[in-house]
Amino acid sequence: MELNSRIPSGPLEKKWDNHRFSNKLVNPANRRKYSAIVVGTGLAGASASATLAEQGYQVKTFCIQDSPRRAHSIAAQGGINAAKNYQNDGDSVFRLFYDTIKGGDFRAREANVYRLAQVSTEIIDQCVAQGVPFAREYGGTLANRSFGGAQVSRTFYARGQTGQQLLLGAYGALSRQIHAGRVTMYNRREMMDVVVVNGRARGITTRNIITGELESHAADVVILATGGYGNVYFLSTNAMASNVTAAWRAHKKGAGFANPSFVQIHPTCIPVHGNYQSKLTLMSESLRNDGRVWVPKKKGDTRPPAQIPEDERDYYLENKYPSFGNLVPRDVASRNAKEQCDLGKGVGATKLAVYLDFADAIKRDGEETIFRKYGNLFQMYEKITDSNPMKEPMMIYPAVHYTMGGLWVDYDLMTTIPGLFAIGECNFSDHGANRLGASALMQGLADGYFVIATSIAHYLGSNPLDNVSEADQAFVDSRKEVEDRIAKILKNSASGPAAKYTVDEIHKELGKLMWDNCGMARNREGLEKALDELPGIRKKFWDSVYIPGSTKEINQSLERAGRLADFLEFAEIMIRDALSREESCGCHLREESQTEEHEAKRDDEKYSHVSVWEYKGEDSEPELHKEELTFENVTPSQRSYK
Amino acid sequence: MSSIDLTLKIWRQPNSDSLGSLETYTLNGVNTDMSFLEMLDVLNENLTKEGKDPVAFDHDCREGICGMCGAVVNGVAHGPEKEVTLCQLHMRHFSTGDVLVIEPFRSRAYPIKKDLLVDRSALDRIIQSGGYVSVNTGGTPDGNSLPISSQQAELAMDAAACIGCGACVASCPNGAAMLFTSAKISQLALLPQGQVERKQRALAMVAQMDKEGFGNCTNAKECEAVCPKGISIRNIARLNREYVKAVLSEG
Amino acid sequence: MWFVRFISSSIGKKIVMATTGLLLVLFLFTHAAGNATIFMSSEVFQDYANELHSHPLIVLVFSFSLLLIFLAHIVAGLYLFFENREESKSRYVVTTRVVENSFASRTMPYTGLFILLFLLVHIMGFTFSPEDVLISVTVKELLGNFFYSFFYIAAFIALFIHLSHGFWSMLQTFGVNHPRYNVFISRLTILIPLFFLLIFGGVALYFMTGLGANY
Ligand SMILES: Cc1cc2nc3c(=O)[nH]c(=O)nc-3n(C[C@H](O)[C@H](O)[C@H](O)COP(=O)(O)OP(=O)(O)OC[C@H]3O[C@@H](n4cnc5c(N)ncnc54)[C@H](O)[C@@H]3O)c2cc1C
Ligand code: HEM
Ligand code: HEM
Ligand code: SF4
Ligand code: F3S
Ligand code: FES
Repeated sequence: MELNSRIPSGPLEKKWDNHRFSNKLVNPANRRKYSAIVVGTGLAGASASATLAEQGYQVKTFCIQDSPRRAHSIAAQGGINAAKNYQNDGDSVFRLFYDTIKGGDFRAREANVYRLAQVSTEIIDQCVAQGVPFAREYGGTLANRSFGGAQVSRTFYARGQTGQQLLLGAYGALSRQIHAGRVTMYNRREMMDVVVVNGRARGITTRNIITGELESHAADVVILATGGYGNVYFLSTNAMASNVTAAWRAHKKGAGFANPSFVQIHPTCIPVHGNYQSKLTLMSESLRNDGRVWVPKKKGDTRPPAQIPEDERDYYLENKYPSFGNLVPRDVASRNAKEQCDLGKGVGATKLAVYLDFADAIKRDGEETIFRKYGNLFQMYEKITDSNPMKEPMMIYPAVHYTMGGLWVDYDLMTTIPGLFAIGECNFSDHGANRLGASALMQGLADGYFVIATSIAHYLGSNPLDNVSEADQAFVDSRKEVEDRIAKILKNSASGPAAKYTVDEIHKELGKLMWDNCGMARNREGLEKALDELPGIRKKFWDSVYIPGSTKEINQSLERAGRLADFLEFAEIMIRDALSREESCGCHLREESQTEEHEAKRDDEKYSHVSVWEYKGEDSEPELHKEELTFENVTPSQRSYK
Repeated sequence: MSSIDLTLKIWRQPNSDSLGSLETYTLNGVNTDMSFLEMLDVLNENLTKEGKDPVAFDHDCREGICGMCGAVVNGVAHGPEKEVTLCQLHMRHFSTGDVLVIEPFRSRAYPIKKDLLVDRSALDRIIQSGGYVSVNTGGTPDGNSLPISSQQAELAMDAAACIGCGACVASCPNGAAMLFTSAKISQLALLPQGQVERKQRALAMVAQMDKEGFGNCTNAKECEAVCPKGISIRNIARLNREYVKAVLSEG
Repeated sequence: MWFVRFISSSIGKKIVMATTGLLLVLFLFTHAAGNATIFMSSEVFQDYANELHSHPLIVLVFSFSLLLIFLAHIVAGLYLFFENREESKSRYVVTTRVVENSFASRTMPYTGLFILLFLLVHIMGFTFSPEDVLISVTVKELLGNFFYSFFYIAAFIALFIHLSHGFWSMLQTFGVNHPRYNVFISRLTILIPLFFLLIFGGVALYFMTGLGANY
């Protein structure tokens, strides 16, 4: 597998301009002769579909949900970053670039990240022009807040529904192109395979979720915008349909998978309350601006929080990190919460929670101020937990939130399969080993609105493409392969449910294995154990999963089973990736790699690279390739929040 | 934490072409911290283990924002709690012995696909007919070149908060999609960006809404009462105004 | 043609309802004012009636327009009623209305039809009353009948109910809905129908109870 990142030459600030200038173009009149498939309608997919269609390409767009507007991006709450420096507090493209690279613990490419920071400003202009109702100052200018511990206010937001409003903007642009006939929208379709013809991605195989039919779609390029794979853990803050299937199938067809073990665990989520739980709900990070995190000093203290006197409380973040206090980065906050619970100081019925207390803030600023700031979140919390954070401290616990890993792409966002592109959370490109708050939305829209069209034009302009049709052998083969796989998933079910497992039972087992061994803190022993146990779970799935119904109808168990089958295969490279990275970096503590003060220790000497995995067939071990990372404009420094 | 025993009467319909009927299930030991959808998950796990077909229902985010979930519970879209989606409704609002009749969202414009799962693409087509500002990507003016008062932005945001769940249609005695349509039209009519296409938008979206077979609004206010996002019928008033103004000058 | 398209659109039909509804309310104000003269004395009332009838052209045009307005209101109302009924027929096994006090809005077509029935009786009785009998006498005779008056009062109650949703609804249809005025509007929506109920009902009671026996 050749990893040519095709980073343009020239100084950092000029790379993107140089690249755009040297790229090939497609004449406007010719564009309608070309077709593109976009899988996914999140921020990345919707914006890419709309933009390509506006430029004249014929676009086919796919999503799992009943409407493109429901993609997982809709759930993002906090905001979107952009280097506008509207607040005149010292922000700049370079600072956003630097913060992002540093936040990612120096595991991302300089060139990509710089481009991201450059186009961030255009994103805001674009969204404003679409009528996205961003929050405003009284004077009518755009409002900003500081987010996730950033030193400048560069986060744009629309109440606690920023993702929703940005997505609806992109969905509007997409809808306009659907109306104009330039985008054909396929709802309720699940992509099952990439079709590769003569070494180039030329189409996909999909399953129609309503009829169960397998369909082939051919095009000149295929763009995956299928989001992240956090649901490998079963419980995460991701939407239920978020999956790795599309990316995994691409991987099996030859696309390298980069840094699969880079997963972000968000510190402020509502804790798990029972084994029936289906997903976790995020509580915005902004709560840490005023809330104080604590646990009882005594292990197994079951007194209600109000009865625990001040001197018997351990404000562990404030004590350990006096300068950042409750605002330490996500990974540090998450890890410390887990540590306290592992020490037996966790609170709540499951003992897997810590307090986030607003009592002092209420005393200081008054009930009204605090309620005005966080009322929405408090109400949401109360709906779910039946407890009022104005009266009792909130309980929070970390949860899987975002996946930095993804399909490996070059500067043009093309995977190692020519003609197959990956954008948004589904690629690995810009966040290194850790993503800053409010940067995923920025990246999704940067890729979709401002980067991908340039790449597509260049690809189409520089490669003569054969004609392919859905009747070609490659498409027939792909359909057959998918059909066989579904038949294999269903094969146990004819004999009834006795002595079988449901899809969710197996998924929960996988999730627990991953959470316990491949979560925030990892060690060789645990990872090896996980690698040992994984085949057993896989076997359980293939030998004894029970799925009612057939494939020729709406069959939600079958949909989930298909996704789980891929998670089960994918989990292996996640664990292997974690094993091979014997350093602590970004989101993860590798327990063997710590400083004396038990802080994460990065190892730039050995691990300043992107780990890219190549699929080598069902029975062979995947192969690890490395893309070395070079830093010419910033000097990697160790993070310290003491 | 406590648990309750329920009787569920759920609409079962294998596909669009077949007739459906209510099926009765008993579900005991429902943990009151569960969400409504988690309760259905538990039922489905039980059904699966008995070799029966689980109940099909739409859902995705499970945090009240994607608008994918929804059913009519004892005659009320999204169930008895105010301003919550079905996925955010928790079982603590029910008690032992309750009989819950669970039916799909119904409207002439929503064909039932299976059980509680319906096709709401008519709502997408309303947006496609004009629920956007027609700007291409790139070349847009600086975000701050267009001052918008904070109050106006908030008002637009009130309307923009619609999640497109379609509960308004399901609960409207006439099956009207006025609240949904008015939310988008209001958002854009309230913002300077929406002015250029303001009239065309109102005409096109109302025409599409009528074409899809949604009913006529008779100001019954049920839509507002069940809307999980508290979208106000003030938006419907605004839509009426927008439409009349558009018809009188451009229609 | 834009007008046809307008009228046949869902919002167009509503606007027809609201416009005719508004005109009917205005008519009722004049009618109520006219009828209120009954409380002064039969002479004042008779003078008023005579004055009216001394301009036959105006009366004709007025009556004719009123007829059209009624027809438009009724036709559009029934059209909406039947079109919407197709939707609501056997839709859910269990139907619950969440809105409190939705009685008036649910019964609009029925209260409306009852008013229609009243109108038929009313016009048969008054407009087509024998030419040679003074109108004040007709009023007294007809309303002096207990059952006749009783029916009238029932109709006025129906009218009250109809308007207790209708007045607000009309403004909403016209696009008048603003938090600052909504409290005021909801008061008017009770006060105006109540006003009609008091005036018209008062007249009916006046005769029914025998108070107006010496009229
Ligand atoms: C609760 C929450 C809050 C967040 N808040 C923020 C925030 O404040 N700021 C921020 O910057 N980021 C935030 N994030 C992260 C951010 O929301 C996501 O990273 C981003 O939205 C991903 O967008 P996307 O377009 O790549 O993919 P998604 O939005 O996940 O879209 C995936 C699309 O692909 C489709 N798809 C997937 N698989 C298939 C398949 N096999 N076949 C067909 N279609 C398929 C889906 O239908 C969907 O349309 C948050 C994330 C979560 C979970
Ligand atoms: C006690 C109450 C009422 C009394 C005493 C009363 C009296 C009359 C009289 C005397 C006339 C005949 C006018 C004429 O042709 O000279 C009349 C006409 C009419 N009334 Fe009433 N009325 C009452 C209530 C109502 C109500 C509540 C309505 C409507 C809902 C109504 C609608 C009409 C109409 C439509 C006409 C015909 C007008 C015309 O021909 O131009 N009346 N009424
Ligand atoms: C004659 C028989 C009548 C019938 C059959 C009738 C029918 C109806 C119906 C079905 C509606 C509901 C329409 C909707 O909710 O959108 C309605 C609304 C209304 N009616 Fe009547 N009505 C009648 C008489 C009257 C009278 C006499 C008045 C006036 C005083 C009146 C005033 C109104 C008003 C103001 C509305 C509200 C319009 C709106 O919702 O926009 N109606 N009528
Ligand atoms: S207006 Fe309310 S009920 Fe209707 S679709 Fe939008 S959010 Fe759902
Ligand atoms: S319930 Fe229906 S009648 Fe109008 S006010 Fe709402 S759309
Ligand atoms: S599942 Fe998304 S709103 Fe309920």
